[in-house]
Amino acid sequence: MTALAISNGVLWVLVLVLSAVVLALVRQVGVLHERIAPAGALMLNRGPRVGEPAPVMELVDLEGRTHRVGGEQADGRSILLLFVSPACPVCKSLLPAIKSSRKDERGWMDVILASDGDISEQREFVRAQGLEAIAYVVSAPLGMAYQVGRLPFAALVDEHGILRARGLVNSREHLESLFEAKRLGVASLQEYLSSAA
Amino acid sequence: MIDPAVGALLSGAFALLFLGAALHKWRDLAGFAEAFRAYGVLPAAWGWMARLLPVLELLVGAGLLAAATRALAATGGAVLLAVYAAAIAVNLSRGRRDLSCGCGGPNDKRPISTWMVWRNLALAALLAVTWLPWTARQMDAADALTVGAGTAVAAFLYLSLDALLGRTARQGARLRASS
Repeated sequence: MTALAISNGVLWVLVLVLSAVVLALVRQVGVLHERIAPAGALMLNRGPRVGEPAPVMELVDLEGRTHRVGGEQADGRSILLLFVSPACPVCKSLLPAIKSSRKDERGWMDVILASDGDISEQREFVRAQGLEAIAYVVSAPLGMAYQVGRLPFAALVDEHGILRARGLVNSREHLESLFEAKRLGVASLQEYLSSAA
Repeated sequence: MIDPAVGALLSGAFALLFLGAALHKWRDLAGFAEAFRAYGVLPAAWGWMARLLPVLELLVGAGLLAAATRALAATGGAVLLAVYAAAIAVNLSRGRRDLSCGCGGPNDKRPISTWMVWRNLALAALLAVTWLPWTARQMDAADALTVGAGTAVAAFLYLSLDALLGRTARQGARLRASS
């Protein structure tokens, strides 16, 4: 009877620990889902090509300032266009990386966040995520011009209005690879590998 | 006939469930009132019911813990669960799959779905088990372990299942929406 009682007590402790572990794992699965949810397989070869002039567009941000994207830049700075949306969880997780890249690369590059849809929702997004310092344009034609299919999407336009890099950016590494592409003057990883060979 | 340890375990677990639910609603009365109104099952003049529900849940939770009030509290709890299930079912049949369920804390904006109806009915049935007559026997230390640890395990497993079901349901909805 004592052995049974002890066995029972030990089992309860183990079951308790086990169910706590299950709960912790379930929560972890939730975190993972949040992170990977909208990342899809896709590299769409549509829209302006890297190495060619980007479409020239006049954009007005939420503060009413005008930005000219494409064409020769008067101030000799490059522009990083980042297409985001309040409804995209990966965009939110990328925002800290965008903010810090903007600071690190401020010597040669300006960041413009681009979105489209309901203006009040965009304003709320800007306020909630603390993006007041970054130019934020709401323009459907811009997304159309760059053929943005999936978010978060980035396009790097250099000081001469040439599109230097474009693609889906899911992480800080993807973002950095855009700057690397401009520094090295190669359009894509494929081009870099074939030139090295 | 059920063993008193099993009965006490059930009562304890359900007391935890109802007290937790009451606490969630209490922390965000305005939010719950809004969710309650959005359900649209009662006329607007009955909005005060939103304040009454957390009180009822509190009474059920506390009542389950005392032998004298247990049967009454269990009945009230089962009725509450069945009423919630009915309210969700009515709104699902209206096709309102985006309605916030109002069942968790302030941050829980999960939409209602079919599994919640079944969950509530299953919980109500389980709670009804405590109506069965309890055998009389002397409780000892082992029973304290059964009831205490059992209640904790039940709570952990309930939270896990709730999260898992909520997630699969959400994914299903997303798949349907995108196809």
